[in-house]
Amino acid sequence: MTLLLAALLPALATGSADPDAVKLPVPKVEYRTNEASASRSPWMDANGWQILRASTRRYYYDVPAGSAALAAAEAFTYAAQAGVHTDASGAVNFDRMLRFLRVIPEHGDLPTLANIGVIDDGSPETGELMNLLSRRNLLYRIVTAPDPGLDMNIRLGSKEYPKSEARNPSQLAQKIRAELTDEKRLLRVYGSEVVIARLVGASGRVRIHLLNYANRPVTGLRVRVLGNYPSWQVAAYEHPDLKLVDFRTADGATEFTLPEMSTYAVIDLSSAPASR
Amino acid sequence: MPGPFPGKAVRVHSEKSVDTATHKIDDRAVREMLSRGMCSLTGAKKERDAWAHFFDAGDVVGIKVNCSGAPKIFSAREVVGGIVDNLIALGIPARNIYLYERFPDQLASVHYGRHLPAGVNIFAAETTRGSMANYDPNTYVETNFFGEEDTRSNMIRLVTDRFTKIINVPNMKDHAAAGVTGCLKNIAYGDFSNVARSHNREKTNTLSFIGTLAMVEPLRSRTVLQIMDGLCGVWHGGPFSENPDFRFYPKTIVFGTDPVAIDRLLLDVIENKRKAEGALSIWDRSMASVKQGVLEKHFNSFIREPGHIEYASRLGLGVYDLKQIAVTEIEV
Repeated sequence: MTLLLAALLPALATGSADPDAVKLPVPKVEYRTNEASASRSPWMDANGWQILRASTRRYYYDVPAGSAALAAAEAFTYAAQAGVHTDASGAVNFDRMLRFLRVIPEHGDLPTLANIGVIDDGSPETGELMNLLSRRNLLYRIVTAPDPGLDMNIRLGSKEYPKSEARNPSQLAQKIRAELTDEKRLLRVYGSEVVIARLVGASGRVRIHLLNYANRPVTGLRVRVLGNYPSWQVAAYEHPDLKLVDFRTADGATEFTLPEMSTYAVIDLSSAPASR
Repeated sequence: MPGPFPGKAVRVHSEKSVDTATHKIDDRAVREMLSRGMCSLTGAKKERDAWAHFFDAGDVVGIKVNCSGAPKIFSAREVVGGIVDNLIALGIPARNIYLYERFPDQLASVHYGRHLPAGVNIFAAETTRGSMANYDPNTYVETNFFGEEDTRSNMIRLVTDRFTKIINVPNMKDHAAAGVTGCLKNIAYGDFSNVARSHNREKTNTLSFIGTLAMVEPLRSRTVLQIMDGLCGVWHGGPFSENPDFRFYPKTIVFGTDPVAIDRLLLDVIENKRKAEGALSIWDRSMASVKQGVLEKHFNSFIREPGHIEYASRLGLGVYDLKQIAVTEIEV
């Protein structure tokens, strides 16, 4: 058990980087207030889509101290084989995050939960689409052919989603959202534009990974998950005693608030009756 | 809302209320304006009875001030202080009185605390901008305006959990998006999170959003009194007051329970002043008049939506037709 978890943990890279590893951008938020953009949302560098696209590859981050903990949490969230290269104070942050990741309860290899199937042709356009779906917490999984078990399937270049629409990926993501409808979304995040979620689960239990890409805490984050899950457990980096508040299951959904989160939090929900 | 006096407004004017050269407000004049206005509104002979028409010692009262233009313009300390003293005179403990706003930096810049009895709470909902911690997760309006990801606007938790009554104390101001900002805008956008999302580029959804928010319970039924502070106003560039040339001095306080009726009167106050200053009409919706980032009286930042007041009347929040509004004018 411990070995399995250890295999998923990112490593602190020392010396030269693995020559076969793919370098990932520094995970962060850029508030480009002076640049025109397709939306008012802040620009984010998040790598989950890239890792999911090639999950067997090895990756590495070369990050400043302030991003080391987030890089480690991102790699852990997407089960990436990743190394993190940083300076001495970054190593301290990395170690702190690693200690936190080690105490997260083992959950086995739960499958990705998604509304959308993306048929990945390996093109940059499809990559950017996945990036923007991730960015908007429109949950997808990569499929090789349309999956009838999902709410919708996207193949860029099809009649429904011509390549020309990919020229404005933000607008295309909005179109997909409108077609899916917010009511059907397995997960919603309210109260922040800089938190990206990953949802995995099976058999009456789900795990929600929440990554905060900003360099300041988020307070009062509200999360909605489709399904009734009366039992919960939370592990929040730098907030060992954190409890979910305003927990509610109603109308076929479960909602709760994280009073505060810094870089990373993991919430496990279960359909088993609440014992607390 | 619209409360026990639909279609009724009492306008109290006092020439001595503000020294326009120094911007100094005459506390005694304001106290007299409050007393005369409240007595006229309720028909009470004594000031205490007028306030007792709405409140008793068991109430927990929120006073929704407007500090969006602070520190240049805000609900006057003298008006707020007078309201608080009258509540305390009814036996409401100071600890059960709250001045509240959304943003702490704006609220702190007014220094209300120096002018209020000890124990009165001064509360800002967003300890950090965008923080949801002090909003009620179960009371919200959900709508998608421009494809924003967060589609909820949540009500301040104090309103749902703590207050039994609310007094709304807006200013008399022009508003670049809403046309004017008075009772409706202050109580709606001032009591919910995540409302700036209703504006994008030149478009704004204030037409329908203001009334929609204002009618959400328990905000609607707990807002029992409207006291519009028009001692000082803004006729262009609102809700802020960066350019002092756009400030003016109506030297008026308006009383009522009907936010639509009071705001209907405000439309004319702002429009008439703009006309006198040679500014665009608040009803001008031409795209040729829209120029964002330019604080100039011949341009708008948004396509204005002063129709939000009539829209709110159609939601049942009050009386819009001037012929149906009874205005009592008092000179102090």
